[in-house]
Amino acid sequence: MTTVERVVANDTGGLEEVARLVDELAAAHALPSGAVTDMQVALDEVLTNIVQYAHSDGGAHDIRVRLTVSPEVFEAEVEDDGRPFDPLTLPPPDLRGALADRAVGGLGIHFVRRLMTEVRYTHVNNRNRLVLTKRLRDQMEAESRGSS
Amino acid sequence: MDLREDTAGDVLILEVKGRIDSATAPALGERLTALLTGAGRRLVLDLAQLEYISSAGFRVLLLAGKRADAGDSRLVLCGVSGKVRQLFDIGGFLDLFSITASREEGIASVR
Repeated sequence: MTTVERVVANDTGGLEEVARLVDELAAAHALPSGAVTDMQVALDEVLTNIVQYAHSDGGAHDIRVRLTVSPEVFEAEVEDDGRPFDPLTLPPPDLRGALADRAVGGLGIHFVRRLMTEVRYTHVNNRNRLVLTKRLRDQMEAESRGSS
Repeated sequence: MDLREDTAGDVLILEVKGRIDSATAPALGERLTALLTGAGRRLVLDLAQLEYISSAGFRVLLLAGKRADAGDSRLVLCGVSGKVRQLFDIGGFLDLFSITASREEGIASVR
């Protein structure tokens, strides 16, 4: 099992740093590309939410990201010190309707839930902690089926 | 993300390579706004080389679609396949845009 941890800023640069970290870890462990993409999208959604909504002071805050790879799972733990917010309490977005009526609110967490195998939220020591888990075995079976 | 522009007669083609996430979506949004400003524009957005798109990117595509409708312009997407198609499906966007398989079909359909 390999774990890497990074503390990044709550801005676009921080998001790009996390994306690079995921790429590096994926390359080092030859992770299936589908699982890596799902994790990249899920992390973009989660981190974007933190950057945009977690703090009302407009100031700089640290976001702690811990990535873990094992033979079974690819996991990301994201911690922020913003206002307590459990994204899993958001109602599913309305995906019906024509172009003119469509909103994108709630779409990010919808992607996270659909792309990850499991998402867990806890509030610990005044910090939001979200754990995103992608099972690798399922993904590898799906990709080998797809290519056969 | 890399953007590449091309033309086929009066049809504009914008090809997106790489990733559309919250870091890159604003640049795509600016380009789409510029290309769809004015009436009667014909634009094919080629996503064949796109690696993935997050909700920040879909927000930009929605705005572009609305802008196209408002300006009586035509916007068609092509090359939506694999992982990108799965993301369009999860977000409920497959029925929202005109999508063709190839760039050539896209060009033909906006003419």
